[in-house]
Amino acid sequence: MADHPHHGVPQGAESQMKTYRPSDEVDFVIVGSGAAGGVMARELSQAGFSVVVLEQGPWLTENDFKHDEIWRDNKSGLTNDHELQPNTFREKEADTAKSSGWAQYGRVVGGGSVHFTANYWRFPEVEFAQATRFGVPEGSSVADWPITYADLEPYYTKVEWECGVSGLAGNPFEPPRSKPFPLPPLPIKSEGVLLERGARKLGYHPWPAPMAILSQPYRGRSGCLACGFCYGFGCEARAKSSTLVSMIPAAVASGRCEIRPLSYVRKIETAANGRVTGVTYFTRDKKEVVQRAKAVVLSANGMESAKLLLISATTAQPQGLANSSGQVGRNIMFNGAGIAAALFEHEINGWKGAVVSRVTWDQVEVPKDTGLYGGGGFDFRSMMTPLGAGFNTPPGAPRWGREWKKNLPRILSNSIMAFGHSTQLPVSANRVDLDPTTKDAWGLPVPRLTFKEHANDTKLQQWFAARGTELLQAAGAEQILFSFGGDSSGGPHLLGTCRMGKDPKTSVVNADHRAHDVPNLFIVDGSSFVTSGRGQPTMTIQALAFRAADRITKLAKSGGI
Amino acid sequence: MPDAGFTRRDFMSAVAGAAATTWASASWSDVHAAAAQAAAASAQDKWQVLTPVQVRELDAVTAQLVPTDDQPGAREAHVVRFMDHSLATFAKEEKPAFEAALKKLAELVAAHYPGQTSFAALGDEEQVTVLKDWEGTDRRTFGTIHGATITGMFSNPEYGGNFGKVGWKLMGFKDQFSWVPPFGYYDRG
Repeated sequence: MADHPHHGVPQGAESQMKTYRPSDEVDFVIVGSGAAGGVMARELSQAGFSVVVLEQGPWLTENDFKHDEIWRDNKSGLTNDHELQPNTFREKEADTAKSSGWAQYGRVVGGGSVHFTANYWRFPEVEFAQATRFGVPEGSSVADWPITYADLEPYYTKVEWECGVSGLAGNPFEPPRSKPFPLPPLPIKSEGVLLERGARKLGYHPWPAPMAILSQPYRGRSGCLACGFCYGFGCEARAKSSTLVSMIPAAVASGRCEIRPLSYVRKIETAANGRVTGVTYFTRDKKEVVQRAKAVVLSANGMESAKLLLISATTAQPQGLANSSGQVGRNIMFNGAGIAAALFEHEINGWKGAVVSRVTWDQVEVPKDTGLYGGGGFDFRSMMTPLGAGFNTPPGAPRWGREWKKNLPRILSNSIMAFGHSTQLPVSANRVDLDPTTKDAWGLPVPRLTFKEHANDTKLQQWFAARGTELLQAAGAEQILFSFGGDSSGGPHLLGTCRMGKDPKTSVVNADHRAHDVPNLFIVDGSSFVTSGRGQPTMTIQALAFRAADRITKLAKSGGI
Repeated sequence: MPDAGFTRRDFMSAVAGAAATTWASASWSDVHAAAAQAAAASAQDKWQVLTPVQVRELDAVTAQLVPTDDQPGAREAHVVRFMDHSLATFAKEEKPAFEAALKKLAELVAAHYPGQTSFAALGDEEQVTVLKDWEGTDRRTFGTIHGATITGMFSNPEYGGNFGKVGWKLMGFKDQFSWVPPFGYYDRG
């Protein structure tokens, strides 16, 4: 970080961006500039409020991104660095947690939306009322959301139109929508053709994938050039609809929003009356600064938001800020994955174009006779890059020498994964808290994960892996390479740690994302999820953010904060 | 089907191209410095980190890992040059691991062929025997050299390896900023 070329604000944004002094009491401080924080920044600043956004990471632009795996893997600045900010992990309370890189998140202006795959699936209607509809599986903390799909639908539509999502209305498994997609689907790839082939043979209903990548120019941004450097990379064409390009520029242009990169929040400040008064953060030089604010929005991601609340404990709130329920950090979910992989006779060339072009959602509810709870959906993807292909030899095959070398073109271009994305159940004992001994490079306690996957989820992922194998076989695979599911105890989907609900005793925020315990504190990110969805959470994180911004604007304008 | 010990996490880190955890300790400016040096380097340049003996041994090992046949291999890709540049710049912290790996290799050579000290001096079949034993018995030290070899073979040429993009040509990869359909065989319509 010390040597990063972008310490500050990119040229262009610099001249038009409003700046505030830390002593100015702004209307809102937003912690995090990712999928949720970027939306909150644009919506609240355009609604007329003064806003400061504090982002841990640097402010990069498309000029900084490149087709370079060494750059990507070596502190490109896109994601968190476990050497500076370790995580620790244990399976149960009695264990001592060990160092682990269980959490991955975007640590850059735009957050994880800069490097993500950009699958933008709406949650099914049933997701929001599973406890009522199907009951609560033993050992889980499944509950109904305090909002319904109908409450969220206008905001799903808003995400599609405001951020830019490509797709085709009419998927028989998609919940009702009020408007078509603003952009047609991305071109079908060989992976998509093969998914269609396999799915149709099995009686499923393949459909163009909804993707937050522009298939055509839209609102001053370029359409996708199909360069192939998508997952894990920043988009050089500004076609991927990260908040870096879809939301942040408009927030800055409002003249009321300051984005402050390389600002790492260490504490939310609370007054004697229990209200928050601002946040303390480390500048790039590790100096502590207090930014005053009338209200605070935490959009730091499902791990960091919970960590900050726990770190910000006070004498009056010793369990952590907004944590009278004891639910902060609990119920963490990551989504499940059941994966099968195969080789095909001819080249697929998954290294060209966006990652996903077709999905099948016939598995949105797994069949009752399986006895399993939840569901999900499939895509076919290659995810092969040159270094990936160099390292990722099929199990059992040689990893070096003449035979391996001859096999390289097939590894790079002829392999596909059937990727099943699935439910992961909330479990109260699965939680993030503060590690009692390990500190990060700033001296803050690091997040400790205590986690054991619910037995349903392991079986569900295995079920998806088996269906994935069938799909690949039906698509004409030459050779199944492997198939497995289970052990999803980490990853980039950080969900559920400040769940929303009506009852202050069992949830952290209400349906307006307002902390039950603190009237001027809002928590808006994956932590608000009550259940995990069927994979692909970012679309819902952003729909929640657009809705939260509406609710918070109404509250603030009526003197309700 | 999954073989023993091959977990989802291994796979995900592999497909995410975690190129090698061994190479993940660089800093931003160092990566750029490495690229600049590599661009300026030529075959006559002095070695910055590796000793002549290390260069000889690594040349022999990498030429077995990615042999030259009717297609270029590690030698043509300048993989050992890549290792030297990396160890001098963005992968400085890997130097002890490299030295430990080469020490382990020397021990294996001596164990298999008493009296021998040099891997490079062994015959072709003898070298393969040693490498197979190494891979099977000490995944960590073997992985240090294997990981650096793969990275030098297939990474962006600006770091000194994949010279003339021979690694990419070998696997059929083309670095191009834009593609149009059809992308592969099956979407030809």
